[in-house]
Amino acid sequence: MLSLRTKNSLLGATAGWLVFLYGCAPQRPYRAPLPTPALPTPQSTAPIPAPPPPEPPDTSRRPVPQEGKIREQDIRTKSPTPPPAGKETKEPSRQAGIGESHTTPEAVSPALPDDSSLLAKITPGVTAQRAASLRLTDEGRKLLDAGDAAKALPRLERTIAIDSTNPYGYFYLAKAQNRLGRYKESLNFLDVAESRLSGEPFWLAEVHALRGDNYRALGQPQRAETSYVQSLRLNSGNRTAADALLRLQADAQSPTK
Amino acid sequence: MLKSKLRIFSISLVTLLVITSSGLVFGAWYLKQLEDTVTKRFEGTKWIFPSKIYSDSYLLYVGISLRRDDLAEKLRRLGYFESQGAPRARGEYRISRSDGSVEIYLHDFEYPTEQLKGMPVRIVLQGTTVARIENLATGQEMFHLELEPELVTGLYERIWQERTVVKLADVPPLVTKAILAIEDERFFSHHGIDPIGIMRAMWVNLRNMSFQQGGSTLTQQLMKNFFLTDERTMSRKIPEALMALIAERKYSKETILENYLNEIYLGQKGSQGIFGVWEAAQFYFAKPLSDLTVGETALLAGLVRAPNRLSPYRSAELATKRRNVVLAKLLDDRIITRKQYDAALREKLPQRALVKVTNDAPFYVDYLRRELDENYSSAVLNKEGLRIFSGLDLQLQRIAERALVEGLKKLEAAHPSLRRHSTDDGLEGAIVVLRPQTGEIKAMVGGRNYQKSQFNRVFQAKRQPGSVFKPFVYLAALMYGGQSGVQYTPDSVLNDSPFTWNYDGQNWQPTNYNNEYFGAVTFRRALENSLNSATSRLAQDVGIRRVREIANRLGIQSSLPAVPSLALGSAEVTPLEVAVAFSTLANGGVRARPLAVRNVMDQNTRLLEKRDVRNEPVINPQLAYRMNELLKGVLDRGTGAAARRFGFTRPAAGKTGTTNDYKDAWFVGYTPDLLAVVWVGFDGPRKIGLSGAEAALPIWTDFMKSATASMPVTDFIAPAVEGESAPAGKCGPFSREGEPPPAEPCPPAVQSTRSAESL
Repeated sequence: MLSLRTKNSLLGATAGWLVFLYGCAPQRPYRAPLPTPALPTPQSTAPIPAPPPPEPPDTSRRPVPQEGKIREQDIRTKSPTPPPAGKETKEPSRQAGIGESHTTPEAVSPALPDDSSLLAKITPGVTAQRAASLRLTDEGRKLLDAGDAAKALPRLERTIAIDSTNPYGYFYLAKAQNRLGRYKESLNFLDVAESRLSGEPFWLAEVHALRGDNYRALGQPQRAETSYVQSLRLNSGNRTAADALLRLQADAQSPTK
Repeated sequence: MLKSKLRIFSISLVTLLVITSSGLVFGAWYLKQLEDTVTKRFEGTKWIFPSKIYSDSYLLYVGISLRRDDLAEKLRRLGYFESQGAPRARGEYRISRSDGSVEIYLHDFEYPTEQLKGMPVRIVLQGTTVARIENLATGQEMFHLELEPELVTGLYERIWQERTVVKLADVPPLVTKAILAIEDERFFSHHGIDPIGIMRAMWVNLRNMSFQQGGSTLTQQLMKNFFLTDERTMSRKIPEALMALIAERKYSKETILENYLNEIYLGQKGSQGIFGVWEAAQFYFAKPLSDLTVGETALLAGLVRAPNRLSPYRSAELATKRRNVVLAKLLDDRIITRKQYDAALREKLPQRALVKVTNDAPFYVDYLRRELDENYSSAVLNKEGLRIFSGLDLQLQRIAERALVEGLKKLEAAHPSLRRHSTDDGLEGAIVVLRPQTGEIKAMVGGRNYQKSQFNRVFQAKRQPGSVFKPFVYLAALMYGGQSGVQYTPDSVLNDSPFTWNYDGQNWQPTNYNNEYFGAVTFRRALENSLNSATSRLAQDVGIRRVREIANRLGIQSSLPAVPSLALGSAEVTPLEVAVAFSTLANGGVRARPLAVRNVMDQNTRLLEKRDVRNEPVINPQLAYRMNELLKGVLDRGTGAAARRFGFTRPAAGKTGTTNDYKDAWFVGYTPDLLAVVWVGFDGPRKIGLSGAEAALPIWTDFMKSATASMPVTDFIAPAVEGESAPAGKCGPFSREGEPPPAEPCPPAVQSTRSAESL
């Protein structure tokens, strides 16, 4: 029997090679129909964009899109702000489509210790609100694991009402929305979870992995791949991302594709 | 002569035959009509059920701040009553004077996604903090528990009939026997009318020379309740008797009895009429029928004759007397034993205070009703017994209402010019309260007095926001910078001096309050002190369309003309829109759609609709944080500093708003967990002549001090450092990974309360 540490090491090494192989892999045929977007670097999300874009046209008469129905083409047709040149090499996976990742195994972090226990985060210094919110999040997680996303949702909504800074509540809300097939909603909650997570690569890897799942479900394999790779860069032990990458590879090599 | 007599006889005979046959035909037709009526009622929809609107449930958890008295008041409003000993039945609670704990036997409650069974719990309080929660049935420690939502009001036509239909098999035999014994002891012997009973009643009435006893059978009573009025006339009695005969011929005794037990009127709780034995057991004893004692059963049966006059809530003496009459009858008929009789005589009558449903949130209910009207017809809402769960917090609602009413009174006392000039010209105000993270509308007061004016100023009144709009200018400046190439920061220097903005060939000259200008001022100070000139110059540099785009993105849906005066809040918006927009800032740049309706269930507890929390990141969290920090300065040093002087010391951000002509006074302010917008003004063109800081801020402060008293103190937390966790988004500088940030701004933000998923 292998010890947990050995398993993690093996998983990490496998994931590292997976990422490496993706970096070396040739371009996939299904990539062609979707133009590779000029993916933003983290710096492009800075509060003040470097070159001030021109004043927008009068949109008062433009038809107002439905909530949650901002179409991808709406976003893509807008010319992106070019990211600062110096940052490109630092975030290769964000710049690449499937098969273009230049991430090397050296850039991949080792498998991180399992930080998934929410109850373990209830330490004496934790506020009562955070403790209650974490317990409810844990209940929601268990319901999700049991396949009852509809029942989990109200509990998870409570978690953010009690403690709006609880990133895990947002993460599991995203997961519940994903399970209910509402992938765009799920992506929104992941964005919030990510903005509230600080210095927690294990959880950030979870966020990216789930984001990848959402993109995959939305039929956007390049974005899914980018998210999975990002997840594995943060935590090579993220099994969701590793498995999903394998499935993506299998899909890409499938003759039907 | 004989011939003539024969002729007369023949004519008479024919006439008689015609009359008789006409009578028979008419009689047959009439009976057929009655039969159709009875059949239609028995086989169609028998009862209508009002829909019920519930508040949000209340979550208790270890560590939450809670005063014992507040908990007791909450329990009382939920229909719990205090017991002397340990709570043994659902709906009872006890406050222990020795160890400060509260023991509650929770009600059962059917939530949209799960059914909670009542259980006994103990809540241990240390001071005003919940120290421990324990399930008394299992001895297990609990970390949180949910108290069921409060009933806010019902939606109904004319009469609110509160009724829960039960099957005859679910009614304990003693209940049916007691009612039959006292109301119609020969029920199983007669055929709808009881001649013996009628004779007996007539004899009793004649002997006493007054109406003492009725001879109506239970079937007749049912027919009267189903179809007829209470008047004691022959024209009512005849169809009643005929219908009773028809019903007895067509339907079994059991069917008639079951309908009777569900139909009878048994009391009044404010605007709610209590109908049927199940509802009566809940109303008088807060327990299911199966748990009723002999004494309670006798009391219930005795109420049938005159529910209000004999109610234990109205007269304990009359109720006891009537109960004892029923008990004696039960003993005589050997339905109960002597021992049961003696024990029942010693039972105490229910003594708890009657809690009436008073609809403390009429404006909220109106808003909610408008949302519901889009998916449900009035007939469905008024008759089909939907259960509508809302985001309303009744405690916050009461605080908001009190703060507004008292605040307006104080303003009128301090400024006599604000007092009413005519009947329809009073000073008005509105408050709307949101939870930024979920978008739930927690409270809404759309005016000063709902009885006088149902106009809901929270979402029906479009008013100029004045300086409340300015933060959108500053946010646009931080986000996009100026067209001049300036990258604005809170420390950037702005020019606060008179200037003219030429736009589309027209000149616009903004002026400062009191025509006072400060020259070179920092970006931060210009916002904190709401300087018109500096803000207008900033808007000119940023571009007014960008300002409008930011306002739309945050949640303003009203049409905003892209003209210079927009920067100073010249375009009309509703308080609700302002609340949504600032909630987006409070929530770190994530816009949550406003939610009043959360779930709708039908009568059979089937979930019809569920409106989930919808979050949409619309601006970068770093930017939102920076704006919150700037707007904190408004309360700490700027135009909202009076809030600190009034004793509101928590970390909070906000903005005052006053329109140029002093017609509208606003204050929008928020902690990370709660946001409130206050508007004060007149409905007509009259000016109030006061600033937002003078008129709206005191009301906001009063509300927030009470509303947040039991909440933990929280501050706005800086989002994850850039690069460590790349903030993601949809458009503009807030872009999701893998999506290019557009050079064009996002499409106008849309938030819809109509996009609920129908399940």
